[in-house]
Amino acid sequence: MILSPGALLRVGLLLLLAVVLQLSGLSQLSILPGHIDLVVLAVAAVAYYGGSVSGCATGFAAGFLLDLTSGATMGVSSLVLTAVGYGVGRFREIRDPSHGLLPLAVGAAATGGFVVAFAAVSFMLDVGASVSPLVIRDAIVTTLLNALLALPVFTGARKLLRPVLKVDPLEVRRRRRPPRETGPLGLRGLEV
Amino acid sequence: MYDRNVVRRRRAALAVFVALSIAILTAYFGESGGGFFHAFQRGAQEAFAPIETGASRALKPVRDLFGWAGDTFDAKDENKDLKREVERLRTALADAQTAQRDATQLKGLVGLKEGEGFPRGTEPVTARVIARSPNVWYSSIQIDKGSSDGVKADQPVLAAGSDPDAGEVGGLAGKVTSVRSGSAQVTLITDASIGVAAQVMPSGATGVVRPAVGNPRDLLMEFVEGGRVTENTTVATSGFTIDKGQSLFPRGIPIGRVSDVNLDEVEIYQRIHLEPYADLRSIDIVQVLTRRPRGAQTAGVILP
Repeated sequence: MILSPGALLRVGLLLLLAVVLQLSGLSQLSILPGHIDLVVLAVAAVAYYGGSVSGCATGFAAGFLLDLTSGATMGVSSLVLTAVGYGVGRFREIRDPSHGLLPLAVGAAATGGFVVAFAAVSFMLDVGASVSPLVIRDAIVTTLLNALLALPVFTGARKLLRPVLKVDPLEVRRRRRPPRETGPLGLRGLEV
Repeated sequence: MYDRNVVRRRRAALAVFVALSIAILTAYFGESGGGFFHAFQRGAQEAFAPIETGASRALKPVRDLFGWAGDTFDAKDENKDLKREVERLRTALADAQTAQRDATQLKGLVGLKEGEGFPRGTEPVTARVIARSPNVWYSSIQIDKGSSDGVKADQPVLAAGSDPDAGEVGGLAGKVTSVRSGSAQVTLITDASIGVAAQVMPSGATGVVRPAVGNPRDLLMEFVEGGRVTENTTVATSGFTIDKGQSLFPRGIPIGRVSDVNLDEVEIYQRIHLEPYADLRSIDIVQVLTRRPRGAQTAGVILP
């Protein structure tokens, strides 16, 4: 991602929208026995298109904003979302994926990683109460719901971030089309 | 291409943000309630409260419609006029359902206050939920009433039950943990940090009610002693102090119904299961008891 005031403004706007929607709408919307976690998807989308440095910076900012506004212990969401953003960004940098349906898998993996890591940090912070096994069901349902929602969220994030991206994965995919097998002999096998 | 500077910058960014997160986490745990981060958090919540109130009100019909959307799935093939009519009715129905739901919860809260044994002399302030914590580990809500309405930290909060007409009038939902001028944060009794001194009625057995994190329909009453407990009996706040200097819940606020008494669990862990009277999964309206009954005994809360 190109580091510019425009990029910061776009990412900031995306995070603010995600946090407000999450706290005021989606957290109160119980679907099956789980809920959608839009903030994780927003961080994963920025990391997917912007890379690991943008991913971990966005994760930190999103977690900070979320903890600040939800009244939770400050630093927990920042820590976990920083790791999620970095992980998704590194995946993108190492594997350079470009399949159109990949956001489904990335969204599911990011959400799964987030709920597991959040639970682990919460345990490390000495949660004194008993934990119901239903936490696992809640985590699985949230992961599945986020996987379903990942495609529109990633598409929206890509549209918002496209002017400030160094590399657009969908452009890369377009360039990777198989070379022409017909036409003049001299041009066969070349990308023309 | 492998670029050492890029790798260094990437690792440095990760290290900086992780270190910052851990530093904030450590400072937050280390400081008192009046420390920098707590004050910063309160300020941010106060600043965000109007946005959250607006967003919550704007999204309420969407939330109500969501449950209803499945029933309208078959209306797809109807003609344009009928679709327009359905659209109009959908909005009207959402409004009606919202009003009905609010009325049901308010009815439950009124019924709760009029119940026998409920502490007299309290002054309930009715508030609307404007935001909710996004995960099961921190179970809290934000309400649209604050210090300007008489709400103060550590005041008990009540919520309606799922079906007031069937006797599920509601009960204790949590306590106020931080207050701004126009909004407040309420930690629910399903939060891992909370514990309420309670008593089984009429046997008189006492204990501490704690949550089973992740299951809002299950509470645990621990350290049960002083009497035999049977299923379907009522558990209410005992008014006993269980931690020095803490005084929160007046005696007599209903918490839940004993749902499971496992003899092995009682003998080994001194523990029974309760089903809370308050419907904590879908709270829209709550009541904060802003005045303590004169001469009432009080109960404490285990701090995190």
